[in-house]
Amino acid sequence: MCDCNSTEKSIYLPELAPITKVAMMNETEMYMHLDHDIGHKPGQFVEVSIAGIGEAPISISSSPTEAGFDMVIRKAGRVTDIMHQMQAGDKLGIRGPFGSGYPIDEMKGKDLVFVCGGIGLVPQRSMINYIMDNRADFGKIAILQGTKEFAQRIYHDELERWAGVDGVQVLETIDVAHDSWNGNVGVVTTLIDKIDGIDLTKAVNLICGPPIMYKFVLMVLQEKEVSHENIFVNLERRMKCGVGKCGHCQMNGQYVCQSGPVYRYSDLANIPEAI
Amino acid sequence: MSIKKLNKDVFKSFVDSMIASDQSVVGVKEKVQAKGNKFAFGPLENADQLRLDYDVTLIPPKKYMLPQTETLLTYEVKGESKQHVDEQKLILVGVHPYDMIAINQMDELFSQDEYDTHYMTRRNNITVIACDVVNASENIFASSMETAVVEKGFDILLTDLGKGKEYVAEAITEKGEALLATAVDATDADDKDIAKRSAIQEANKKDLDKHTLNCKPSELSSLLEQAYEHPVWEEKAKTCFSCGSCNTTCPTCYCFDVQDLVNWNLKDGQRERSWDGCLLKDFANVAGDHNFRKQKESRFRHRLYRKGKYVPTKIGGQVACVGCGRCVGACVPDIANPVAVYNRLLEDIKP
Amino acid sequence: MSKPRVAIFDFACCEGCQLQIVNLEEEILDLIGAVDVVEWREAMSEQSEEYDIAIIEGSITRPEDEERIKDIRSKAKVLIAIGACATTGGLNKLKNNFDDLEEVKKCVYSDASTMPHLETAMTKAVDEVVTVDYKVHGCPIEKAEFGSIIRSLLLGKAPEIPDYPVCVECKKNENVCRWEYGEICLGPIIRAGCGAKCPTASYRCFGCRGYVDDPNVNAAVDVMDKYGLTVDQLKSKMVLFGSKQGPTL
Ligand SMILES: Cc1cc2nc3c(=O)[nH]c(=O)nc-3n(C[C@H](O)[C@H](O)[C@H](O)COP(=O)(O)OP(=O)(O)OC[C@H]3O[C@@H](n4cnc5c(N)ncnc54)[C@H](O)[C@@H]3O)c2cc1C
Ligand code: SF4
Ligand code: SF4
Ligand code: SF4
Ligand code: SF4
Ligand code: SF4
Ligand code: FES
Repeated sequence: MCDCNSTEKSIYLPELAPITKVAMMNETEMYMHLDHDIGHKPGQFVEVSIAGIGEAPISISSSPTEAGFDMVIRKAGRVTDIMHQMQAGDKLGIRGPFGSGYPIDEMKGKDLVFVCGGIGLVPQRSMINYIMDNRADFGKIAILQGTKEFAQRIYHDELERWAGVDGVQVLETIDVAHDSWNGNVGVVTTLIDKIDGIDLTKAVNLICGPPIMYKFVLMVLQEKEVSHENIFVNLERRMKCGVGKCGHCQMNGQYVCQSGPVYRYSDLANIPEAI
Repeated sequence: MSIKKLNKDVFKSFVDSMIASDQSVVGVKEKVQAKGNKFAFGPLENADQLRLDYDVTLIPPKKYMLPQTETLLTYEVKGESKQHVDEQKLILVGVHPYDMIAINQMDELFSQDEYDTHYMTRRNNITVIACDVVNASENIFASSMETAVVEKGFDILLTDLGKGKEYVAEAITEKGEALLATAVDATDADDKDIAKRSAIQEANKKDLDKHTLNCKPSELSSLLEQAYEHPVWEEKAKTCFSCGSCNTTCPTCYCFDVQDLVNWNLKDGQRERSWDGCLLKDFANVAGDHNFRKQKESRFRHRLYRKGKYVPTKIGGQVACVGCGRCVGACVPDIANPVAVYNRLLEDIKP
Repeated sequence: MSKPRVAIFDFACCEGCQLQIVNLEEEILDLIGAVDVVEWREAMSEQSEEYDIAIIEGSITRPEDEERIKDIRSKAKVLIAIGACATTGGLNKLKNNFDDLEEVKKCVYSDASTMPHLETAMTKAVDEVVTVDYKVHGCPIEKAEFGSIIRSLLLGKAPEIPDYPVCVECKKNENVCRWEYGEICLGPIIRAGCGAKCPTASYRCFGCRGYVDDPNVNAAVDVMDKYGLTVDQLKSKMVLFGSKQGPTL
């Protein structure tokens, strides 16, 4: 037995990287930035490791056009609780990037509709900011963001910034009315009819949100006769290894950590466990 | 490479000299707890302990490549981690063909895409002496799964030509050749010996059939293509305990869990992986108590799809049930038998 | 950072679980090094007013116990129930099988049964009276598991407590299944964590750790037929640790 590195590097070995910035976005979500380039594509994720506590798969929230990467952490259990106690200068173990990411080439030149629920905006932002930095390559953009409660909104500044960009419309709603909110009230699907000047059937529609949201959004897109080829969903599963070995993320024959978490909806036709 | 013949005494001293060498030797032994009629792989102290006439071991030899629990990393809590790789050399004696085929499948799975150095280092440090089956176990169906004989993966293949009086031993790797060369009194096997061996193997291809699958293993994938909503899943899973015994005894199950442990100083510890099972209730559970396979029947179905359809797509179509029959005997309510399920589907569906 | 203050309290039980803690041997020194034990039975009579972790052993069987446990809860940041008596009611729940507790008392203590300290009520597990944060199961508890749960908590991490059956650990230990010997082993419906102690020592599991969260008790009934056993035989095996603890037959 030995702890030496005489063999190949373990795929389970994280690399330590310091957190350079943290900020609370609301009561449960924390923003983090790491000045650590991992060569990711929009839509990929990392495994964050805190030795002694465990690992958690976390989406990369920033575009590869920016240095380092961003994450947004919702307090949900062991690893994420401890992450919430961390400050700039503390170190996190990182493995990855993992997963397939968004189909950028196919999205080029097309109109794009992002439908996001809650922290579903987090991974979508990696693509949205990529588009912002390569604006000429893409058509019109609609960003639909639905949040349960006013206090849970995230990335508001950024939503505002995007709204000011040429050819980009941002539509936001909250499920429950609130005194300080004069915007839309209702679930995210109610925003779909408000999209201006985009033919949904020709656009690429990208959905990310909590598991229960997909059914409803897909139902509306179905009514609008959007073909399943033009819909992409971003799925969450339990993950342990991130590298296609442990079996936890499997949905039917697909390993979400490898072939996902972004899927073309038509590719899921034979994957009944997907949605 | 050579094919040798070893009589009883030569074989015995061959095993004893292996044990006396500086390598650890594990082989099939009687399980003392079970008064000798059950078998398990364990460290050999002398050649007499080795029982090559065993029927099946309680759990498969995969425990030497993928131990029940193993350390992946050692670390400073909230700090640096170091990888931990077990580089112990081992000779593994008495692996049956179906278990060998299962190991060959795992070798492929752990080395493809992302190379798992923890598994592969162990694997590469093991010299495998496989052996043809002498006594069929109660639930074996290797004949149906085309796993009654094996052609690769091992270093030496032993065939008992009759009651342990004579063995044919064939080395197919350099490692095996070097090891077999230590049996200095072995003679070259002649055509008659090799013909006897073929006869034994041909018989096994037919006789390891306590259950019979009513289709070819290669047809399972297209059978399952049409069986997702079949009532059999619910029928069978009604009495499922979600105990995972069908996973923990299976030579081709390799799902694992990872957990972090910490020592009493609260400063260092280790990250461990251990066997998990897709039949266990929380296998696909995520935050917010959302369970992607909440129903017993969906977990029960997942395992049989994994064996017959999902894993095969990763390993060139090989079916990931090798017909060892362990899950059949391990399942207290007796619902885990893959043949019973697949045959039930075949009553209603044409693959 | 000051050490977390830990208090240990016992209710109705045999104190076997505390013995397990004492039996931690070398580890007990590590434990004492890592925490401040502010209260451990009568040994420390002075009531400290607050504790980070309260460890409760035993079940709640008398009305005054209920007051006491509520008081402890109000002072504890984290409350852990240890041992079957505390986590499920354990053996103490046997008495709940009787409708008339006065009868039980007479039977157990005969003439002394009217003494005030023998006042009794239906047995309750700790979580039937107050919120329990974590449970260390078993009768008695496993020292190794207890140690690792405490270390987890000291790190500020919720301990991983298995919710799968004993069979998982039993198979990993390469045991021959007790059912093959015609014994009614409760392993398939009982929570793991003991390392399948009993089957590993050639005894059936009698269920001291309590049920998994969603035990398939009906399946247990179905398998009786297969093994030529009766449901009554199964019931008789479940009574010891399964009395009035959720799913029954
Ligand atoms: C591809 C992907 C991207 C994700 N991106 C983000 C993100 O950007 N921000 C964010 O806050 N969260 C994200 N999550 C969810 C996040 O991974 C889980 O909340 C996290 O793993 C919980 O870990 P924990 O140690 O904090 O909780 P634990 O203490 O491990 O568990 C708490 C609960 O979570 C369940 N759980 C265990 N492992 C997982 C798992 N791998 N995924 C989900 N639930 C699990 C447990 O069953 C338990 O119910 C993502 C998940 C996936 C699969
Ligand atoms: S599924 Fe059953 S019979 Fe097939 S390999 Fe696994 S344990 Fe053996
Ligand atoms: S061994 Fe049988 S009872 Fe246990 S999980 Fe498998 S199918 Fe269910
Ligand atoms: S659980 Fe058992 S050992 Fe522990 S105190 Fe109760 S009766 Fe005693
Ligand atoms: S002996 Fe008991 S615990 Fe072990 S596998 Fe059999 S039923 Fe399960
Ligand atoms: S095997 Fe069963 S009875 Fe024995 S210690 Fe474990 S849970 Fe308790
Ligand atoms: S997370 Fe382990 S296989 Fe996908």
